Amino acid sequence: MAKSKMETPNTDDQLFALEEHLAGTLKPITPPKELVLRLRDRIRFPQPEEIVSRLGNWRRLFLVYGGVMSGLLAIITIARALFYLVGRRQM
Amino acid sequence: MPDTEFNEEDVLTRASQGDRDAFGLLYERYIDRIFNYVYYRTGNLHDAEDLTARVFQRAMNHIQNYTDRGVPFSAWLYRIAHNLVANWHRDRSRRQEIPINDVPILPSKGDHPEKNLVHSQEQDALLRLIRRLPSERQNLLILKFVENMSNAEIGAIMGRSEGAVKSLYHRTLLALRDQLGDQSINLDGE
Repeated sequence: MAKSKMETPNTDDQLFALEEHLAGTLKPITPPKELVLRLRDRIRFPQPEEIVSRLGNWRRLFLVYGGVMSGLLAIITIARALFYLVGRRQM
Repeated sequence: MPDTEFNEEDVLTRASQGDRDAFGLLYERYIDRIFNYVYYRTGNLHDAEDLTARVFQRAMNHIQNYTDRGVPFSAWLYRIAHNLVANWHRDRSRRQEIPINDVPILPSKGDHPEKNLVHSQEQDALLRLIRRLPSERQNLLILKFVENMSNAEIGAIMGRSEGAVKSLYHRTLLALRDQLGDQSINLDGE
């Protein structure tokens, strides 16, 4: 087999040395504290993609649309009532 | 981290019910590991930060889908990270904007500056070779050396048996050794 032909004691030494170099090169890194805090803040708030995906949900979209329309209706009604009352007082 | 104060099962249950504080505990526990993985796979801090954030965002959005089937939560997180890094590499290769060898070497404490310079050149060369390996071989080396994981733990993340991981590791070392020889790179720095 090619593998057994290649793997001599010399190969074992080479691989052992290579492992030592890998251990010296691939070391764990501690991310900077400010980066960890910044990431935590980013994760806490929804990203634009998440907002878009939420809008893709038709039920939620319907609720948002209904809420906005109800709010508008309430504002118009209050404005009309105020206009009527102020108008009557001036007559 | 000692497990006396951190009951992962309990925290996972709370997090999957939408408890953001519980998810915060998971974040604190795994941020270093995921960041390390992404950093070594991408090679720069900016992309590592962005992708790490996306890993945790995706995990938070889908944590209710995580079910413990003998696969640890860390394995689930690493798979998310692996998928995002793979997408990142695919998008990057389509655009072909930035060279692939911008991994900075962080000096170790207590070394002499001259020794550090030689070491960093060797490490640079080795990192460049590692980054040319197929993705799953890079994963294996990162999980083994950066995360200090056993073959069984790596197998759980990569969806392979312990024996398959051992064999892949051996083939990876042989491939790296051959590439070092082909490029006449001497890691002893002499």
